[in-house]
Amino acid sequence: MDTSQTLLVLMAVPLSASLLMALIPSRRASIRVFESIHVLSITLVLALGGMLVASVVVTGETVSAVGLWFRLDPLGSIFVALIVVIGFMTGIFSLPYIRHDIETGVVDSPKVKQYYLFFNLFVFTMLLVSLSNNIIVMWVAIEATTLSTVFLVGLYNTKTALEAAWKYVTVCASGVAFGLYGTLLVYADAANVMADPNQAAFLSEIIPYASQLDPKIIMIAFVFIAIGFGTKAGLFPMHTWLPDAHSEAPSPISGLLSGVLLKCAILVIIRFYTLSISVVGPTFPQTVMLILGAASVIFAAFAVFVQDDIKRKLAYSSCENVGVIALALGFGGPIVIAAALLHCIMHALTKSYMFCLSGNIVMKYGTRDLGKIKGVIKTAPATAVLLTIGFLALSGFPPFAMFVSEVMLFLAGVATGDIWLVIVIALALTVVIAAFTLVVIRSVLGDAPEGMKRGDVPLAALVPEFLLVAVIIWFGIALPAPVVAGVESATRQVVQASGIDSDQTLLSGSLFAGLQSSIMDE
Amino acid sequence: MQPAFAMSFLGLAAIAIPFIAGIVIALLPRAAGRWISIGASTLSLVATIAIAAVFASQGMQSQTVDLVSIGSCTILGLVFDKVSVLLAPAFVGIGLIVTIYSLSYMSANNREHPDAPRRRFYAFLTVFIGAMPGLVFASTIVGQLVFFEITGACSWALIGYYHTAESNKGAMKALIITHIASVGLYIAAALLFINTGTFELTAIAQLDPTLKTYVMLAILIAAWGKSAQLPFYMWLPSAMAAPTPVSAYLHGASMVKVGVVIFARSLISAGTVPEAVGWVGVIGAIVTLVFSFFMYLPQKDLKRLLAFSTISQLSYIFLGLSLSVFGSQLAFQGSVAHIFNHAFAKTLFFLVAGTLSYTTGTRMLPKIKGLMKKMPLVGIAFGVAALAIAGVPPLNGFFSKFAIFAGGFQAASGNWILTTIVIVGLIETICCFAWFLKVMDGALLGEPSEVVAAAQPVPRSMVVALVVLIVMTFVSSGIAAAWLG
Repeated sequence: MDTSQTLLVLMAVPLSASLLMALIPSRRASIRVFESIHVLSITLVLALGGMLVASVVVTGETVSAVGLWFRLDPLGSIFVALIVVIGFMTGIFSLPYIRHDIETGVVDSPKVKQYYLFFNLFVFTMLLVSLSNNIIVMWVAIEATTLSTVFLVGLYNTKTALEAAWKYVTVCASGVAFGLYGTLLVYADAANVMADPNQAAFLSEIIPYASQLDPKIIMIAFVFIAIGFGTKAGLFPMHTWLPDAHSEAPSPISGLLSGVLLKCAILVIIRFYTLSISVVGPTFPQTVMLILGAASVIFAAFAVFVQDDIKRKLAYSSCENVGVIALALGFGGPIVIAAALLHCIMHALTKSYMFCLSGNIVMKYGTRDLGKIKGVIKTAPATAVLLTIGFLALSGFPPFAMFVSEVMLFLAGVATGDIWLVIVIALALTVVIAAFTLVVIRSVLGDAPEGMKRGDVPLAALVPEFLLVAVIIWFGIALPAPVVAGVESATRQVVQASGIDSDQTLLSGSLFAGLQSSIMDE
Repeated sequence: MQPAFAMSFLGLAAIAIPFIAGIVIALLPRAAGRWISIGASTLSLVATIAIAAVFASQGMQSQTVDLVSIGSCTILGLVFDKVSVLLAPAFVGIGLIVTIYSLSYMSANNREHPDAPRRRFYAFLTVFIGAMPGLVFASTIVGQLVFFEITGACSWALIGYYHTAESNKGAMKALIITHIASVGLYIAAALLFINTGTFELTAIAQLDPTLKTYVMLAILIAAWGKSAQLPFYMWLPSAMAAPTPVSAYLHGASMVKVGVVIFARSLISAGTVPEAVGWVGVIGAIVTLVFSFFMYLPQKDLKRLLAFSTISQLSYIFLGLSLSVFGSQLAFQGSVAHIFNHAFAKTLFFLVAGTLSYTTGTRMLPKIKGLMKKMPLVGIAFGVAALAIAGVPPLNGFFSKFAIFAGGFQAASGNWILTTIVIVGLIETICCFAWFLKVMDGALLGEPSEVVAAAQPVPRSMVVALVVLIVMTFVSSGIAAAWLG
């Protein structure tokens, strides 16, 4: 099996898993059947995805399949890595979580089938987003992620869950429609100038013609794209669906939504951002991202503070972190591309970890209301320790992963001369720190409500969390060389494609060394 | 074994052992925590002393060792010079003394705060002890930033330990205010890296004067935040809600010392420092100094009085460090010696306050009378600590303050504004002395008051801690003077 076949198999596995589950009648089959198919599927996805990403990082060569339709480039491989790794972790965490839901009678066996079926479909659609080279398919895939997750958001059939699901589907579908306008504008403009207009939907083929594209049209298109896919990414002020959907969904799904799906939308934005820069120069696309990013961070920081629902707090924190990534793109320049990509990775790990932990809380306390969650340290000590680490990590403390990318962001902001904005953002992040440390003080510590039994959640739920926390600390202390190499080659790809300073020997050797030399050249 | 290699190995051990111990404490049963904590801090102390031995045997040559580099860019490194090698054992050693003291203090017998220590007390205290040599030895600004933030998180966890409304508030204040100040350090790191391509602190020397001023001022802001100077002082009096051994460590040898250490390190690294930095530092110091003295007067709680005393003592250090910008090496050395000396004296004073809480159940000054008759050791410790802080010879505070002022006059000669400022500082020490005499008179002499007469005996581990610190309060200035030369 060569790499291009592997690519197709990678996409086929979760798709066929979900189709297979669709064919099995839920009344007859035991839930074990669905669980087994699910575990098999996510394990295969992890193995195949890992192999492919490794080959791209090692050889630096892009893998393509079915002609120009699917492509795994260095940029995409970062996101594929996130999908397969976090998909696997949250997938494993789903097993004890859904079992617990069955015990408490929240879900029945058709719901279990629905859960695992859409979980796999969801993984498939995200893979499609990051592997698609055809911009129209990319848009379709983003829409498909909405459709595949809306039934997961509404899984519990409660009033609030259904409301959240409706809000999610209407806001995202209408928002992403703007993305379609933008996509079509790019396509139409490319079809005008390209020698073979039939290839105008393939991003890799458009890029060489960037200099001939019409700057006015691309500007308009980029605004549409930033708004459209920004809705899906949860940027302010199009974020309104996010806190509802992410908090009502089952916790493993919240983790996957916040950790990975938002990043997939970011990937689409980065792809068009790169194209726009090569057409209209860096100023315009950067300004758009800067405004959206700064507004998101500042707004979401306060929103995180005032929420009293643990999952809504985490959901708003996702808005804030997507804002940080957008802001990094707004600062512009090679360091920030690297910082933005690193932040995608770090935040994906940390946030999916935190949503899994919020799942522990929900299992233990049966509520998400922080006013009622007290004394986790007394009732579930392991969860409490993990939560404390998680909240500190999410606040950007060393030695945890997000500290690294936040420092790089500050650095980049100061480098581009936006020192005052950096200070404002740093203060906004202080509000987030206050919000999260208060949760630790008020809910994790202290006395447990009366009558709560001591005892942690099942070990099967704790194992993926321990794995994730180990990765978060590991990445915070010593970023492993393959990750650095992956981020480097993705950064190189973005920088070269956008043509900002393609002659710069940006990343000779390693990330920081490269950044160093790029700074010294300026 | 190469001396540089030996020192960096020991330095890493001094930092890493307490960190690992912190994790181990969290995993093991509660009873094991205290012993692991003591073991880890002892090992860390041994490592720092061994560094001093190697360093001295090498003729005290300053050395920098890079630990973590990505490409040619150093992310973390250790610097061994007279300042860092002197301060690290002091900070770790005081951590050890505080841990030993906590064995008795954190118990059900405590009359003010009966408590069975939960694991997080020893876990965070141990990590804190490891972060201090990390900060002192850090040769890069990123390294400083990492340990700066870790000490912030540890102090947050420890100040909030009793989990009352007051202590939670104190914990949040400490974390948020020092974090706001830390933005200065982030900015300094970014400016340094962008303009020199490295995080190494020695690169500050390569900056042009304007940028150097900005970077140094940004560091100074972060330093003010941690060292509780105006306008950031608010967190320190609130942090009194911490268990007293923690307060002792925060004031004596950790949290507030972080600020002066990073400022001192930047002065060492910067080569010629623009005078603007000196002016800002001197003015900030003298304003805080006068302010904190006036805050002494209404305090009845011994711990709150000590909090303002810490603020003023740190102002002396900032004053000395900033005056050194105007060309006085003596003022700089005096300040470093004062960091060292004040660490012992202030820890001693807090542990006295803690002993009073433990034995009598109060630390309100009006209720405490006649300590000398009932508890002579505590009385002596109280007197020694108060006189050392007030700067009375032959106690350690006198020598370092003397050096600061002598150096100050030397630097200020010919500049009437600076001279006036130094004189104001000098007057403050006299007022401080007078005030502490009054406090001592009330607490030590006369017949024991009701609570003092009913006091329970002082436990052995407290006696050990107090005796060691009394001895150090006499001899530390000699050590500092011999070491700094």
